[in-house]
Amino acid sequence: MKLFDIVIVGGGGAGLYAAMEAMKTNPGLNIAVISKVYPNRSHTSAAQGGANAALANTAKDDSVELHIFDTIKGSDYLADQDAVEVLCSEAPKIIRELENMGTPWSRLDDRTIAQRPFGGAGRPRCCYCADKTGHTILQTLYEQCLRKGVQFFNEYFALDLALDGSRSKGLVAMNIKTGRIEPFHARTVVFATGGYAKMYWNRSSNAAGNTGDGQAIAYRAGIPLKDMEFVQFHPTGLRKSGLLVTEGARGEGGYLVNALGERFMSRYAPEKMELGPRDLVSRSLETEILEGRGFDSPAGKYLHLDLRHLGADLIKSRLPQIREMCMYFEGVDPIDDPIPVRPTAHYSMGGIDTDNFGRTVMDGVYAAGECGCVSVHGANRLGGNSLLDILVFGRIAGRAAAEEAGSFDPAPITEAEIAGKEQELRSYMKPSGHYERYGTLREELGQTLGQNVGIYREASKIEKGIEEIAALKERFTHVRVFDTSDIYNTNLIQVLELRNMLDLAETVAAGALAREESRGSHTRTDFPVRDDGNWHRHTTFTLEAGRPKLGFKPVTMGRYELQERTY
Amino acid sequence: MTDSTVQHNEDKRDVTFRVHRFNPQVDSKPYHDDYTIKIEKGITVLRALNYIKEHVDPSLTLRAFCQAGICGSCAMRINNMSKLACTTQVWDELDKAREPGVIKVDPLRNLPLIKDLVVEMDPLVGKMEHYSNWIDSKMPEEQWGKKEFLVSEEEFVKYDKATDCILCASCVSECTILRANREYVSPAVLLKSYRMNVDTRDASHDLRLAELVKDHGVWDCTHCYRCQESCVKHIPIMDAIHGIREDAIERRGVKDTSGARHAEAFMDDIARKGKLVEATLPIRTNGVGWTLKNLLPMAVKMVIKRRTPPPPPLVKASKGIEKFREEFREMSGHVAKDHEKKSGE
Repeated sequence: MKLFDIVIVGGGGAGLYAAMEAMKTNPGLNIAVISKVYPNRSHTSAAQGGANAALANTAKDDSVELHIFDTIKGSDYLADQDAVEVLCSEAPKIIRELENMGTPWSRLDDRTIAQRPFGGAGRPRCCYCADKTGHTILQTLYEQCLRKGVQFFNEYFALDLALDGSRSKGLVAMNIKTGRIEPFHARTVVFATGGYAKMYWNRSSNAAGNTGDGQAIAYRAGIPLKDMEFVQFHPTGLRKSGLLVTEGARGEGGYLVNALGERFMSRYAPEKMELGPRDLVSRSLETEILEGRGFDSPAGKYLHLDLRHLGADLIKSRLPQIREMCMYFEGVDPIDDPIPVRPTAHYSMGGIDTDNFGRTVMDGVYAAGECGCVSVHGANRLGGNSLLDILVFGRIAGRAAAEEAGSFDPAPITEAEIAGKEQELRSYMKPSGHYERYGTLREELGQTLGQNVGIYREASKIEKGIEEIAALKERFTHVRVFDTSDIYNTNLIQVLELRNMLDLAETVAAGALAREESRGSHTRTDFPVRDDGNWHRHTTFTLEAGRPKLGFKPVTMGRYELQERTY
Repeated sequence: MTDSTVQHNEDKRDVTFRVHRFNPQVDSKPYHDDYTIKIEKGITVLRALNYIKEHVDPSLTLRAFCQAGICGSCAMRINNMSKLACTTQVWDELDKAREPGVIKVDPLRNLPLIKDLVVEMDPLVGKMEHYSNWIDSKMPEEQWGKKEFLVSEEEFVKYDKATDCILCASCVSECTILRANREYVSPAVLLKSYRMNVDTRDASHDLRLAELVKDHGVWDCTHCYRCQESCVKHIPIMDAIHGIREDAIERRGVKDTSGARHAEAFMDDIARKGKLVEATLPIRTNGVGWTLKNLLPMAVKMVIKRRTPPPPPLVKASKGIEKFREEFREMSGHVAKDHEKKSGE
C-alpha cells in the first residue's frame, strides 16, 4: 500500500504553493499533487490584473493597515477580521518571496515591483506583470515545484474522499489517461480545486473545469461549506463569450460608457467612478441595461468599456493580452473601438469552511484558495485579493498539513470501495433509463442560475430557481455517457463535473433564499438593505438526507466596527 | 468606421469538420470522421468542436479549458497548422481550406498520440526538467521574502516576451527537427532556457548552457523558423535560439562543440571563397576520427553514385569575392565592437 503524507488536489496557485511549502517544512515527507489538468493549465493563469500587497513602492504612504481596512470594507464587513489581518500582513512577504524565486514583474524606474490602482483600494497596491500576472505566477510556481521534485499525478480526476470512521484515509481518483480508478492513501488531503462560478456556464468568465470538484467532494463527505450564496459578477465580461477584460483596464484609466454616451458610474460611485468595488460596478451595469440605457445586439444587451483615450502605446505595452482577446473574440481592436461588455459570473467567495490554517471540521482534510472559505473576502472580494488569497493560504495550508501529517496510519482503501466506484461510473453508460444529454442540462443550469440567482435576486425568482435545479437533478439520474471507452473519456468527466455543479448549485440557491438582506455581491430586490441585526453572520451548508441543511457562524470582528459602505 | 461592434453578420454556412479519430482500444489505425454543421460567422473552431461533442458525437475527444487563449490546452492542427482552437475563427479557416467548406482538424505532431485530438504532454515536461527550466535563485531560500531583487525595465524586457509562452506545444508540433529526432530539446524548451539564462536573478546559467550545447541541444536547430511562424503568442523564438548560440560561443568559445565548430567552418569558407567547401566540412566540424567512423560508408556510396562534392582545390572563389571580403571584414568589425561594448557594460 502506497501511503502519502499529503495529497494535494489541484495544481493551481494554491495547490502548488501548498506543495512547495510542505516540502520546505519537512523535506522527508511524501507529497503528491493530483490535478485533472496539467498544472500549468490551471485557471490561475487567467488572472490578469495582479496581486495586492502593501509594498509601498508606488504610493509611499501605503500600509498593511490600509490594505486590511479596504479588504474588510470591500467584504461588506462579512470577512473575518483576524483572517484578513493574516492575508494583508503576509502579502508583502509573499510577493517578495515570489519575486525572489524568479517570478517576472513589471518594474518602476527605481527597479522595484510596479503597482497599479485597483477597484476598492485606497492606494495603487496591485503588483503586476503586464496583464499576465496569474500566468507568470503559475509558471514560476510550476517551475519551482519541478525543481524541488514534487510528485505530480497529472490528468487525474478526484472522485471522492475515502473515510476511516470520522476522518479521511485518502481519496479515490480516476487516471484520465487509462480510465483506471486508483486509491490515494493519505494522512492529509488538501483541496485546492478552485472556484465554482462555472455553474453559470455561458454567463461565466471561468474555465470549463471550474466546477467546484473539491467543494462537492467535501460536501458529499459531510464537511460544511460556507457563504455559498456569494458569487461575484465581474463588471466587464466580453459580450459574446463572457470572457474577462481585467479590472486593470479600468485601473489604467478606461471609461464605462452607456448608449447615451454617459460615463454612468458618476451616478453610482461619484468619487471612485470606474474604480468602485466589483459588486457595485456590476450592479451599476446591470441597472443601466435594465433601465434601457444599454446597447442592443442579437448576442444580448451590453455597454462600452472605452480605452481609446489611453492611446495605442499604453494599450500595447500594458494590456496586450486584452487587446488580443478583444480582437479574437469580439472582432474589436480597443485602440480604435470601445469594447462591448456586460457583467459575468467570475468568482466564488464561498467554499469549504476552514479556519485560519486551512483546516476543515474533518481531521486531516484542508482546503485553500478559491476552493476554501476562510473567510477573507466576505460578501465581496476586491480585485487583486484572489491571487493573494491563493498564495498566502495555499502556503499556510501546506505548512499546517506538513506539521500535522504525523504518523496516523489510515486503513487501506478496499478493493470493494474501488469496485463500487467503478460500478457507479459504468452505470452512466447503460442505455436503459439513460437518455439525457449532459450538454443540455449544463446549459439549462447556467440559464436558471443566471436568471433566478444572478446579480439581482428576489424570493419568487430564487424559489423558481430551486425548483428548476431540483428538476435538473432528477433529470441527471437519466444522464447518459455515450462514450464507453476507458481511455481519456471526457464525456464521463464532464458528466461528473456536472454532478458536482448541480450539488453546489443547490447550496448557492438555498443561501440566496435564506439571506434576507443585501450585502456585497448578494442583492435582494425584496430586501434591499444590509441587515446587520439578523444577517451579520456566515451561512453554512451541510449535506443531510440529500439536501443542504442551513447553519450559521458568527463573523470574527476586530478593530473595525460595522459602518455603512459607500464609495 | 463608426462602430464595428454593433454590426452583426447573420451569415450562416454549412461547414464540414474532418476530424482525426483514434481510440487505441478499438482502432488499429487512425481515420477521419466528417461532421457537417451549420455555423454562423464569429464562431471559433473550439466552440464548433464542443458543439459537435455535445450534440452530435459525445465520444469526440479533445482537451480544452480556459477557452480564452491563455491556458494552452486546446492546441491542435487546423488545416495543417498547429494553433489554439479557442482563438481560431471558423470563417478564417474556410479561406485557408484546401477543399472548399472542409476544415481539417488533427492532433499535434511530434508527441505520442493518446486519443482523437489528445497527445501526451509528459515528454515536454521531461525536457523542461532535463534542461532545468526554472530559476535557481541567487538568493538562498532562507532569505526569501525579505527584500526584492532590483531589476531594471531593460533587464525585464529581455525575458518579458519569452514569459508569454503558455506551453501549448504548437511550436513542438511544427518543429522539423523533432520530426526526425524526438530527443531534440524542442523550441519551447529552448525558449524557456533562454528566458532563464537572461534573468539576472538566476544562478544556474552555466550549468544550463553546458546541457544545451550537448547532443540533441541548441546546435541541432536548422533555422527553418516554423516554430516562430506557428507561435500562438507571436514570440520571436528564433531570437531566443540565436541568443543561446551567441551566448554559447561567447562563454564557451568556438572549439567547444561540434555545433560551434560547424558555424566557424561555415564562416571561414564564406570569408575565403564565398561558398562552402563541403568535402572537408565534416572533418572540420567533428574531427577525422568521427568522420571516418560515421561518414566513410556514405562517402563510398557517394563515390559509387558519382555524387561526391568537388575536392577542395576545385572549389573556386565566387565572382565578386573581393568586394564581399571587404564587406565581411567591415561586418566582423561591427560585431567585435558590439561584443566589446557588451563586455564593457
